[in-house]
Amino acid sequence: MKKCLSLALPLCLLLSGCGGLPTAREMGDMALMRTMGVDYAPQGVEMTVSTGPRAKGLQAEGERALVLSARAESLSGACLSMQGHSGSYVFYGYVDQLLVGEELAQRGIKPVLDYFARDEELGLGAQLWLVANGTARQAVESGGESGVDGRLSTLQMDGRLGEACLSRTAGEVYSDLMEQGAAFAPALVVGGLEDVTLTEGGYGILKEDRLAGYLEGEEARGLELLMGRAPAEVLTVRLEENQVSVRVTMVNTSVELEFQGEDLGGMGLNCRVDLTVTEYERELSGAQRELLAQKLEELLLSRLEGALDELGRLQADCVGLGLRGAAFHPARWKEIREQWPARFGILEREIDLQVILHE
Amino acid sequence: MPQEKQAQQPHPRREPRFDRPLSLENLKEVFSGCVDFMERTVYLNGDRQRRVTVCYLLGMTRNERLSDYILRPLAQDRTLSQAPEGELFSLLQYGALYNLAAIRREKLDDVVNDLILGSCALFFPGRMDVLTLPVPTEEKRGVGEPENEPALKGSRESFVESIRTNTAMVRRRLKAPQLKIKEHIVGRQSRTQVDVLYLEDMADPDTVKRVEDRLAAIDIDGLEAAGNLEEYLAHTARSPFPLMAYTQRPDRLCQGLLEGRVALFADGIPLGWMVPGTIDQFFKTGQDRAYHWMVASALSLVRYFCALVTVLLPGLYIALVTFHPEAIPPKLALSIVAAKQEVPFSTIFEVLTMLLAFEVIQEAGLRLPGPIGATVSILGGLVVGNAAVEAHIVSPAVLIAVAVAGVAGYTQPSQDFGNALRLWRFLLAILSSLGGLFGLSVGCAGLIYHLARLESFGVPYLAPFTTGTKMPRGHPSLLRLPLPMMKWRDGAVKSKNRRNQR
Repeated sequence: MKKCLSLALPLCLLLSGCGGLPTAREMGDMALMRTMGVDYAPQGVEMTVSTGPRAKGLQAEGERALVLSARAESLSGACLSMQGHSGSYVFYGYVDQLLVGEELAQRGIKPVLDYFARDEELGLGAQLWLVANGTARQAVESGGESGVDGRLSTLQMDGRLGEACLSRTAGEVYSDLMEQGAAFAPALVVGGLEDVTLTEGGYGILKEDRLAGYLEGEEARGLELLMGRAPAEVLTVRLEENQVSVRVTMVNTSVELEFQGEDLGGMGLNCRVDLTVTEYERELSGAQRELLAQKLEELLLSRLEGALDELGRLQADCVGLGLRGAAFHPARWKEIREQWPARFGILEREIDLQVILHE
Repeated sequence: MPQEKQAQQPHPRREPRFDRPLSLENLKEVFSGCVDFMERTVYLNGDRQRRVTVCYLLGMTRNERLSDYILRPLAQDRTLSQAPEGELFSLLQYGALYNLAAIRREKLDDVVNDLILGSCALFFPGRMDVLTLPVPTEEKRGVGEPENEPALKGSRESFVESIRTNTAMVRRRLKAPQLKIKEHIVGRQSRTQVDVLYLEDMADPDTVKRVEDRLAAIDIDGLEAAGNLEEYLAHTARSPFPLMAYTQRPDRLCQGLLEGRVALFADGIPLGWMVPGTIDQFFKTGQDRAYHWMVASALSLVRYFCALVTVLLPGLYIALVTFHPEAIPPKLALSIVAAKQEVPFSTIFEVLTMLLAFEVIQEAGLRLPGPIGATVSILGGLVVGNAAVEAHIVSPAVLIAVAVAGVAGYTQPSQDFGNALRLWRFLLAILSSLGGLFGLSVGCAGLIYHLARLESFGVPYLAPFTTGTKMPRGHPSLLRLPLPMMKWRDGAVKSKNRRNQR
């Protein structure tokens, strides 16, 4: 019996794919890459990777961030050729920032996301950034000695806390592309302010995995409202002899699809925005409060309209309005799903914006 | 069986050991060459026609009692010289001597055994029987504090080497006559008393019978160490895990008896064992019932967690650092890389060497007298460890992982269980070195399989966490519930009476 078991167990392991044991590799010999930038190159792709700030020895003496670049016909080829450019083993398991150059984004980012999904070291948990009007290599190299990882991590954390634009992982973008056919990703601009090498540049809109355009400024804030996210800004409103600053604290947006018989008739958008007054010159009177609410409503409405118009023009429902509305009409949604990108921009829409002021 | 054939048997056992007629000459022959064998002939009340020979082993008897209660009446009691010759024996057996017991013996074997246990024997000329009177010495260590199981809130008594003192301590706590104490003799040469204790209306009769059968089957020269009982009773040869829980504390042993377990004492060993031993027994302390239930539950969870840490941490460290670095948080990975860059050895070698060094330092500290042991620990642990890190021979993360695993092991109330975990720690570290998390998982599966195969006196070792016995569970083993809610004895122990309170 025991002999049978001792023969059966290795056989089971071999049949289940456990043919060999994993290979050991010492971490001391590794260069832990934190950021990866991918650009279009005539022969294929150009990949640029960078470590974060590095330390050596117990005293943790600082070392320059390691930046490596390689061109190859494929992503895996570029990754492999990178190994020859470094004295250490280049380890991609810690890549949590993915920058995609504009030209590559215009040609399609699906191969990059697909590679991230299938590679055993990389993963779709990495944050995805589009580099507007530039290349990912420029963005990666803009980090200088300390690398660009710190700046991107700060933007990512600020995004989560509502202090910066929405951050998105490669997985979120990938799944949006698969489900909605469109997605948005935060865009960065190389060389903005004096000390900051990368600044926010709104959102890049991906349609069928290609960059279709950008939403910037008010339209970008409108996209955040559509996503139910409080924009990271303080709104200043000038009233009669009183300047008031308010901050959006909470946004709740829901979508309803209106059907006339079997046909899609329109779209209703319910948006409740909670705002808190942060500063004022004089205490607000009742009339001023009403005036303030009215002005804020106009402002926020124009943002929403602007974002919806632009998305409609691009025919890219990257915020999932259709899917959200379809939750109540699953059967009908199946019928109109194909036409939705072309139709949602020209649909009659009714926006019910509710502004609630807190002091 | 012919004597020659019997002699060729491995380790032949002779019963009776001294197959000769009972006589003073034969007794003297048995104890020839024994400097502590004493005999003294006494004239009864000075009558030279009536005499008796008193034999005893010096040091095994209490001299004052022998002199005052045996020799003095023999020498001074007038009735002894006046009573008819035929009634003299019964007169001494039933009253003339002021001793708690007087036993008539007809076999040389019994007399030899009584003398060894501290009796004196009275030989009467012309009679083939002997009167033995127990007058054992009471020289023994006083009852002290349990050093291995210190109590902050509870009894400070600890078992001692004297078996009768130990049984008395239990009897003082459990005053019910249902507490049965049965004696067995183990060891051909040591003739050690081993007592089996149980509460008749609670303990499983099958378990009691198993214990007694196994005790009777033990045929060894002497019972000098705890292992002499544990390894013969619980068949532990194939597992490092202890199958019999032991304690120094009478209150904990009594709690075990109240749970329906069977207890064991061996003369000369200041411990009490409780069987059947299930895994939860080795995570409990005598103080669990003394603390508030929330505190006791939290501490219990900490002990289980520490058991996992001590057994898994070195292997997990090897697996993550060497095979799956992506699973380490980035900042920790960066500091590990920074510290590892100047260390010449592989992580696997580092961890295994440090584990070995930890064991060496611990063993050196234990074998030396207290103050020197502490010095060795400080020198070995702090000075050498710090120097090794500064000299880049060992990476600090490895030192921390091994030290944390080692210290976590000390939270185990049972030293035996902690030792078993230490052995498995090595095995899991080696498996991790071979296959990373896969190797570690295989090792963990092997550990669970091994534990699941163990049985202690017919009860699965993992019984508190399984339903394999088809017996109703008692109470959660990870937590200590409020005592008024703990109304049931654990079904796995097969107690006769499961309800323990109203």
